[in-house]
Amino acid sequence: MDQQAFDAFQAIADPSRREILRLLSKERLPINSLVENFDMSRPAISKHVKILEGAGFIYIEDVGRERYCSLKKDGFSALQNWINYFDGFWNEKLKTLGTLLNNKNK
Amino acid sequence: MEKRIQHSIFYSHTPAEVWEYLTKPELIAQWLMPNDFEPIVGYDFEFTTRPMPAFDFDGHIYCKVLEVVPFKKLSYSWKGGPGGGKITMDSIVTFTLAEKDNGTELLLDHSGFRILENADIFSAMNTGWLQNIQKIATLLNTVTNGSTSI
Repeated sequence: MDQQAFDAFQAIADPSRREILRLLSKERLPINSLVENFDMSRPAISKHVKILEGAGFIYIEDVGRERYCSLKKDGFSALQNWINYFDGFWNEKLKTLGTLLNNKNK
Repeated sequence: MEKRIQHSIFYSHTPAEVWEYLTKPELIAQWLMPNDFEPIVGYDFEFTTRPMPAFDFDGHIYCKVLEVVPFKKLSYSWKGGPGGGKITMDSIVTFTLAEKDNGTELLLDHSGFRILENADIFSAMNTGWLQNIQKIATLLNTVTNGSTSI
């Protein structure tokens, strides 16, 4: 399990941040447009956006006076890596169980 | 995006024998992790492993028994995080046993990663990428067609 995967899980553990990602899954949006969708201040939204950016879920681009947010693959890949980790984990454990069962009969 | 983990494995032992290794704490510990499991629906138990503070994981997997059908099915929740009651991973593990060829076919399903399934984002992401790839493919084709027609 790597740091990025855990950051990714923490980043999307928050419902507001999941909602931000959902909105961005439709289109690229400036932070000001995101704010309109929430009952929260701009600084509060900016904080969420910063966490998502840190975990690799979004990419921020300054266009004129606007800060545009769009989805980025890294955060999602980190989650996938994490699931892959458990995939390997179970594969190994279930094989160990098979060995144990076989030795039991000897 | 794959949201669940599934493994199917055949053991040349009866479901009753395999079941013992899924439900007796001292036997579970031999192949999985130290635990205080009891096969009682609603029972809270923990798996303990090496904490990894750098990874925000306190070494505890917090579980609750969800379903117990002797020799057939066992299911428990599987949660973890950095400690202090904070949960960042929330999922469900289910074992299904079926008698087969004088042995047992065990199916493991680790899924219900809540945050993944609640978020339609993942399918949207996939569709988005696919559309982008198609857009690029269309552009490339246009270019190719353009050049061949010259």
